[in-house]
Amino acid sequence: MIAKEKLKEYANKLMFDMNEEEYKTLQEEFEIILKHMDLIGNVPNISDVSPMTFPFSNEDVSLREDEVGDYLTVSEVLENTKHQLNDQVKVPKVVE
Amino acid sequence: MYRGKSITQLREELDSEKVTPEDLFSKANQLAHYFQDDYNSFVTIIDKCKYRKSDSKLNGIPYALKDNFSTTGILTTASSNILKDYVPVYDATVYKKLKDAGAILVGKTVLDELAMGGTGTTGHTGVVKNPWDKECMIGGSSAGSAASVALGIVPFSIGSDTGDSVRKPASHGGLVGFKPTYGRISRYGLFAFASSLDHVAMFARNVKDVAIVTDILKGKDPNDMVTLNDDDKCYADLLDKDIKGKKLFYIKEMCGKDAYKDIDDKDLSEVISTFHEMLDKLRKKGFIIEEVSVDKTLLEAIYPTYMVISCAEATSNNSNLTGIQFGPRGEGNSIEEIMFDARTKGFSELIKRRFILGSYILQKENQEKLFLNAGRIRHIIVDKMNELFKEYDGMIAPCSGGPAQKFESTSEKLSDRYLILENHLAIGNFGGFPSITVPYAMIDDMPVGLNITGRVREDDLVLNIAYKIEEETGLKDIYSKVGDIDV
Amino acid sequence: MYKVVIGLEVHVELETNTKNFSSAPNKFTEAHNINVSTVDLGLPGILPIANKEAVRKALLTSMALHCKTPDEIIFDRKNYYYADLPKGYQITQNTKPVGIGGYLDVIVNKKIKRVTLHDIHLEEDTASLEHYPKYSLIDYNRSGVPLLEIVTDPCIESADEAVAYLEDLRDVFLYLGVSEARSNYGQMRCDVNISLMKETDTQLGTKVEMKNINAFNSVRQAIEYEIKRQSEILNRGEKVVQETRRIAEDGRTYSMREKVDAIDYKYFVEPNIPSTPVTDDFLYELKKELPELKGDRYLKYIEKYKMSEYDAGVIAKNRKISDYFETLLDLGSDVELSVNYVTTSILSTLKKLEIELEDLFITPEMLSGVIKQVKDKKLSLDAGKKLLYEAIDKKIDPNELIRKEGLSQINDKDELLKLITSIMDENKEVVRQYVEDGNMAAINFFIGQTMKKSNRQANPNMSKEIISEELERRKNESK
Repeated sequence: MIAKEKLKEYANKLMFDMNEEEYKTLQEEFEIILKHMDLIGNVPNISDVSPMTFPFSNEDVSLREDEVGDYLTVSEVLENTKHQLNDQVKVPKVVE
Repeated sequence: MYRGKSITQLREELDSEKVTPEDLFSKANQLAHYFQDDYNSFVTIIDKCKYRKSDSKLNGIPYALKDNFSTTGILTTASSNILKDYVPVYDATVYKKLKDAGAILVGKTVLDELAMGGTGTTGHTGVVKNPWDKECMIGGSSAGSAASVALGIVPFSIGSDTGDSVRKPASHGGLVGFKPTYGRISRYGLFAFASSLDHVAMFARNVKDVAIVTDILKGKDPNDMVTLNDDDKCYADLLDKDIKGKKLFYIKEMCGKDAYKDIDDKDLSEVISTFHEMLDKLRKKGFIIEEVSVDKTLLEAIYPTYMVISCAEATSNNSNLTGIQFGPRGEGNSIEEIMFDARTKGFSELIKRRFILGSYILQKENQEKLFLNAGRIRHIIVDKMNELFKEYDGMIAPCSGGPAQKFESTSEKLSDRYLILENHLAIGNFGGFPSITVPYAMIDDMPVGLNITGRVREDDLVLNIAYKIEEETGLKDIYSKVGDIDV
Repeated sequence: MYKVVIGLEVHVELETNTKNFSSAPNKFTEAHNINVSTVDLGLPGILPIANKEAVRKALLTSMALHCKTPDEIIFDRKNYYYADLPKGYQITQNTKPVGIGGYLDVIVNKKIKRVTLHDIHLEEDTASLEHYPKYSLIDYNRSGVPLLEIVTDPCIESADEAVAYLEDLRDVFLYLGVSEARSNYGQMRCDVNISLMKETDTQLGTKVEMKNINAFNSVRQAIEYEIKRQSEILNRGEKVVQETRRIAEDGRTYSMREKVDAIDYKYFVEPNIPSTPVTDDFLYELKKELPELKGDRYLKYIEKYKMSEYDAGVIAKNRKISDYFETLLDLGSDVELSVNYVTTSILSTLKKLEIELEDLFITPEMLSGVIKQVKDKKLSLDAGKKLLYEAIDKKIDPNELIRKEGLSQINDKDELLKLITSIMDENKEVVRQYVEDGNMAAINFFIGQTMKKSNRQANPNMSKEIISEELERRKNESK
């Protein structure tokens, strides 16, 4: 079973936390899910194919011509945050 | 009377000036409010009729839009607390096209939080109930979009389908649910769940209506690289083509007559028997339907493969939800603290568990075994389908092992007997195949649907087949007639 | 003494009209958040749309640096959380970078040093942060700007080599026209990895990393300081700590953070940018665009044209100048004279007028005409230069000036003698002063008169010779 501390570490790397009870549920769920993941390993000749990212090969794809199109106004950029100063988004001091 | 009418019927009434778009909107609005407390279809109900006149078939037709499509100036939450106050500054291509076509937005519908779920129970504004039975789920994630059409509030609605998020609730709601070929409809403005699987899809109460909606929505979009060039076909005009000799297959291990003979489950056996009765009707109609056998280990791998790919992509896709440039700002003295606080408060437990799983799958030490192997299985499954599609025009299958489940029943998705039958619709997402759900039977007064999945880019053929099947079901244009309201 | 091992990671912003994955302008600006699209802001529902021109410039650079190019263009996501990364991931290339391997030959202290490359990948820049005592501000203008990262192998052994590589690499960018690479605008930035090892060691020493250094001189300072600092640590028998350091204005480096374990970026292929094939036809077209680079031209100038290292360096440094020079040669101009005119007249004019070569009035065709006159001794070197300045001034083709105003030098000895004889006949008193009093000033007087009467067309050297001879002749005659 994966240690709760390990799961907490995973969560924290994703920038959130859960409570003790929730980690316990997750721990149990992980067991079940990982067992299901084992089904993946049951499929024969799996190494004969490449991992698929795109559902099918798509000849209709073209790269974008380098021409300026639509973009946002400053007020649209800042529309969804109250935390702004001098046309920029204000955050606590970032320590480099 | 407006409620329950199809696009085609409303079009006639509008064109003969029996009704105005404003009338239709006001009735839809009335119905939306009337059913909201009991069924919770909407996050936001629009109270002001806004529409642009056009000569499209959707001009003046009310519709509902899943709350994970970006709509300028209209709250868009993805049913998550982390976006509970987010008002977009741009339009999803789908929304823009519907606006341009003159369709009238009635409301933004509830989904499972961030579209990750299949129950309709995890949205931040509460549970969505099944119009056919309030004790039952309608399924998700496009739960509110399904409910709003099943209640007869709107003739069609837009959802998104990453595993089966439109086609499954369509089955539980007695609706037609269509997911066209990957790239047929632009995803720009659809909040990403798992980008390689995400499709725009829609609900209506008959096949012709979904064809009409698809005709409006399809086409190349410079804002979505995966979109296909327009095939210059009008799907609504191609529905009635003769299907004699069209070949369909069903998978023995998934829905063969004897696939579940050892299992004592009334719903499941009814699904299988009604399904095979329907196949016989279809054979009489001229379809050639054959049983094929597919390695069971491959079918059993569909669900874990889907989980691996979708959770992994979802973890990354939702990394923008930090409360920095939009969404509720977290508290704290450093940038890390405010992100941490926003995400801790903003996501429900279920979502967090999925993200942790996704992140685990992508970790260097697990990538090969989990993520890349899932990609390989996806490849094998899609290859297998394409091989079958060389001989057959489509796959036919029941959408699930029974009608909608009661809320209190625990999910049996992972139990062996349901593993294949409850999860196979994800095949359509793996390969980007066009895939449609059509109601085909009532089991204890609850609808169940069957699914047709066809070759990539052949959306017209899939719709054509579904249209012909619909003629045999007697379940065209059904909706739940609950409620004491007469509009 | 320790062996120094340095690896450099150079980030250069590509010059394009639009961002790498959105159609917002890619333009340096002082105003905040004016070049931002939904994509650059990482809003929910956005999709990246890859820029053809950025891909083209990335492949061009890859080919110029002798890298192996991929059979398809795909991108990957690099997942991490940071204030300047609105999507929570950076789109970059991990699976199939635009270039693998490759090298750049650099001349360091008159020797060729081959800097080998690990890879080149195309990615996007982050937003920029301004730091204040109590808060930071985010500007998304830079978010999504196409960025090319060029990673060397750990093969650089001194600050001289590092700086020479950076300078030459910058010239490659300028030659290719892929970036202006102005380090003061942050368009070219460098991460330095440096470790020290004993000559006899087989394993690399502990690596120290210094990030985002803009000025080449700072790179030099940082490396020199680190060599000194790490040597002292090793001399004391202590161990160098693996860490990230920053360089301060005093040229010293300071510890920023110790390296915990490496971050797992959880790379995976970007699903929203379908693979686009890199066809042979496309590569062939690109190859045709590929110019001969600075290093090759430099060596050619020295070996083939026997130019001095200094002249070869001055001309090869700038592609436009070098192209101009080579056009002159293609037009059949004399090498030595071409070098002379380009390194003096042309460069000084550009500097004086503060203009670019393309804005210079004098085309290679015009200059080659003038050079021909000089070569044929119809015009002196200096007269040619004066002619050029006049042409620039009047914006008239210098060859036109020669034709119209008859500025061609009189080199005909008979013609000159005739003119000089007539001048002497008119100034008999001066001739007498030379003949009888031996007044040498007479020679200069007659040169002046000859130039005046000939509208400065007379060849001064020839005139001087003829005048001396004629005066001597008359002196002997009078005896």
